[in-house]
This record gives sequence, C-alpha cells and structure tokens, in this order.
Amino acid sequence: MSVLEVGALWRKVGQAEILRGIDLTVEAGEAIGIIGPSGSGKSSLLRCIAGLDPIASGRVLVEGKPATPGDGAIGMVFQHFGLWPHLTARENVALALKLVRKLPRREADAKADAALARVGLAAQAGRKPAGLSGGQQQRVAIARTLAMEPRVLLFDEPTAALDPELTTEVLDVIRDLARAGTTMLVVSHEMGFIAGLSTRVMFLDHGQVVQVAPPKDMFGPGAEPRVKGFLKTYLDRVAWAQG
Amino acid sequence: MAVFYESLSAAARGLPVTLAIWLSAVAAGMALGFLVGAARFFAPRLLSAPLVAVVEVVRGTPFLVQCFLLYFGGPFIGIDLSPPVAGFVALSVYGAAYFSEVFRAGFMAVPPAQLEAARLLGLSRTQTVLRIMLPVMALGVLPALANLAVILIKETAVLSIITVPEFTFRMQAVGSASFAVVETTLVLALGYWALVEATAWAARRVEKRIERALAA
Ligand SMILES: Nc1ncnc2c1ncn2[C@@H]1O[C@H](COP(=O)(O)OP(=O)(O)OP(=O)(O)O)[C@@H](O)[C@H]1O
Ligand SMILES: [Mg+2]
Repeated sequence: MSVLEVGALWRKVGQAEILRGIDLTVEAGEAIGIIGPSGSGKSSLLRCIAGLDPIASGRVLVEGKPATPGDGAIGMVFQHFGLWPHLTARENVALALKLVRKLPRREADAKADAALARVGLAAQAGRKPAGLSGGQQQRVAIARTLAMEPRVLLFDEPTAALDPELTTEVLDVIRDLARAGTTMLVVSHEMGFIAGLSTRVMFLDHGQVVQVAPPKDMFGPGAEPRVKGFLKTYLDRVAWAQG
Repeated sequence: MAVFYESLSAAARGLPVTLAIWLSAVAAGMALGFLVGAARFFAPRLLSAPLVAVVEVVRGTPFLVQCFLLYFGGPFIGIDLSPPVAGFVALSVYGAAYFSEVFRAGFMAVPPAQLEAARLLGLSRTQTVLRIMLPVMALGVLPALANLAVILIKETAVLSIITVPEFTFRMQAVGSASFAVVETTLVLALGYWALVEATAWAARRVEKRIERALAA
C-alpha cells in the first residue's frame, strides 16, 4: 500500500480555484520535490495534505486511511520554523511527547534528546530559540516533528527564511533523512538540492500538475516546455547573479 | 492636627476596602476578559456577535452610569446587591470589557506557524491556549494589562457615589465634616498616586521575570 495517496484534490477559496484536481501517489521512502512558480499552489498542496487548509473535494489517504491534523500521520516543517519561544529546544521537542503521547517526563526528554542529536543539536538542547541561529532553529523544528514519528514529512520552503550559509546545514539534515528512508514532500526553490534529493519531482502551475518525473528528466531534455521555460528563467537568474 | 489624625484613620479604614475591591475586580475582570477574548478569537462569528455587542456597550458608556444602573436599577430586576458587592461586580464587568480586547489582540499576535505546529503535533485547543498562547503572548500583553489595572484603581473612586466605604468616600466624609476639603483631597491624590506607582513597579518586576523566561 502507498504511504500517501492524493486523489482529485481540489481547493477553492470563494471563486478562486487554488488547486485543480491534484493526483499523487507516494511510496514508502520516496522524496517528492515540488517546484513551480510563485502562486502555483505548492504551499496550498502541502497544507491541504496536512489538513491545515480545507479541501473542496478529493481525498488524502495516509496508509489507506483519511488523515486528520494531530493524528500523528503527517508532520510539517514551516518556512518560519514555528518554534515556541518560551521553551528550550528540548522542551519544544518533548512537549507533544508528554501531552499527546503521554510519555513520562524522563522518557520524553530522552526521546527529545535523541531527536536533537539526529539533527546535530545535542549540545544546544537547553537553549531557547532566541539563543539559536536560524538554521539551528529550523533543525529543532525538524527534530520536533521527527520525534512524533510521522508517516510522511512535509517541508514548505524550509530554507527560504535563512541566510545562504545557514541553508546548507538544514538541507544536509533533510538529505540525511531522505537517505535514511523518510517519506517526504519538499517544496523548495533550491533546484540543485531538489535534483539531488528527489526520487520524483512534481511541477505545479496554476494549481495543476504539469509534470511528474524523475529529476534527470525534469531537469534534462525530458522536461515539458512549460517546465523548461520556468527552469530557464531560473538558470538565467543564477547566471545573471554570477555575472 | 485633629484633621490630620482623622484623615489617617479614614485612610486606614478606606484604603483596605479600595484595595480589596480593586484587586478582586482586577482578578475577576482579567479572568472574565480572558474567557471573552478567547471566545471572540476562537468562536465562529455568529456565536461571538452577542459578546461583541456587550463589550461595545460596556466600553461605550461611563462607568458611573453603569454603577448607577446596577446599584439603583438592579433591585427592579431582582439584583439587590450591597454597595461593596455592587462595586466589585460593576468594576469587574467594566474591566473585563477592556481586558477582553487586550487578550484578543494578544491571541491574534501569536505567529500562525506556532499554532499550526501545535495542531499538527496533536495538542488540544486547551493545551495550545494554556501551554503556548498564554506564555507566548504574556510579554506582549503585560504593559496593556498593567495600564488597565492602573485605570481601574482610579475608577474605584467612582464607587463612593454608590456609598461604598472606600478611600474616596471616607476622605470626603472627613473633608465635609471638618471643612478641610483641600487637605483631604491632597491626601486622596497622594494615596492613589502611591497605589499607581506600586502597581507600575510590580508590573515592571513581572515583565523582567517574563523577559528572563524568554531569554536564551
Ligand atoms: N486563504 C487563501 N485565500 C485566498 N487565496 C489564497 C489563499 N491561500 C492561497 N491563496 C492563493 O492561492 C494561490 C496559491 O498560493 P500558494 O501559497 O499555495 O502558492 P505557492 O506556490 O506556495 O507560492 P510561493 O512560491 O510564493 O510560496 C495564490 O494565488 C494565492 O494567492
Ligand atoms: Mg508557498
């Protein structure tokens, strides 16, 4: 059975059709990269899958069952981290383990420390978000999600709010998770990263899937014209920036 | 000199009443205001509309008029309260209307990602409010809460009109009996000013503690 099945998913806000019939089936251990122009519906797709935005019609199944927010099936990492500022890194990770999983304090803390060690932050467990760099904060957010052992992890532009030199440390963590077999969907404008990470890449435009293909096709001659056009603008910008 | 001693003894009897009504009304008003603010933030518009109306009426009429209505009008609908209780109830409701606005603004200021993370991790709404929203918004709302508490201290003077034996009521009695109106009014001003300063000092201490709790 597929880990995630999205079928004929529509999202509407008033008259606006934000997502128009998205289909996607994700097998265990896959990393799906999602790219597309601004406003194409990438965030909306992740939010609908997570249950944060209501869908007009269609289905989202995790291991064959409808998922609801908070049931632990889906974890999500946001562009702006969403860490709780009054809690230390360890407390951020341990809170849901205590309140939702009802683990005793010591067990929850041990699990939190293990999750933090996995993202390379064992030494920072006692610090509050204000005492961490942006990259460290995002890694705490990843650890917080990991600790709940979701079936699918969603990343919505996890490095878009970070300085370039902090981006790498976060992308490294995500890549390690993918190598370890975590099923994930990643929205990012870091094309090189998406190309190296993904088992398949999905290109969205105007709320529709233009193409789903392995990176070598999506970033090679196999790309649809619309994708090529988008990637060309993107590469032109990089070239321009490099002078 | 006799006026001086009388003033002191009047203050000694009036101030505790002022303090008791003020502190209990601040506590009750804050609790009620928190509930109303939370309801207005979370409840669907249809349910929160009546709350909005009540808050607007309370904020749109003078406190003095509300005291009169409750104390003199209340008995007609079976609400017959002693002056101190009427004063406490009136001040609590009046404060709650303003406190609810502060808390609602505080709820709205919590970054959405913090709440969405809580939701996806499975925290219940109550857990999210108590364990995340309250602490996160504490620092932001504190100055406004302290400011309101100070305004409520000064509003307690209005309660003298419905014969609550508080600070102003006692001092006015001394003033009119002895004709030393200026002196007793000065004592009144000093007394309220001291209370206001003490409140501001306490608020600063609480603010420092919260800042320390949020620091790295
Ligand atoms: N709650 C909403 N109400 C109205 N319109 C919305 C809402 N959410 C999203 N949209 C619209 O839906 C479209 C898709 O938005 P979305 O944020 O999913 O795009 P995106 O691909 O993530 O863009 P970006 O790369 O800029 O993050 C946009 O046109 C956006 O304005
Ligand atoms: Mg987006």
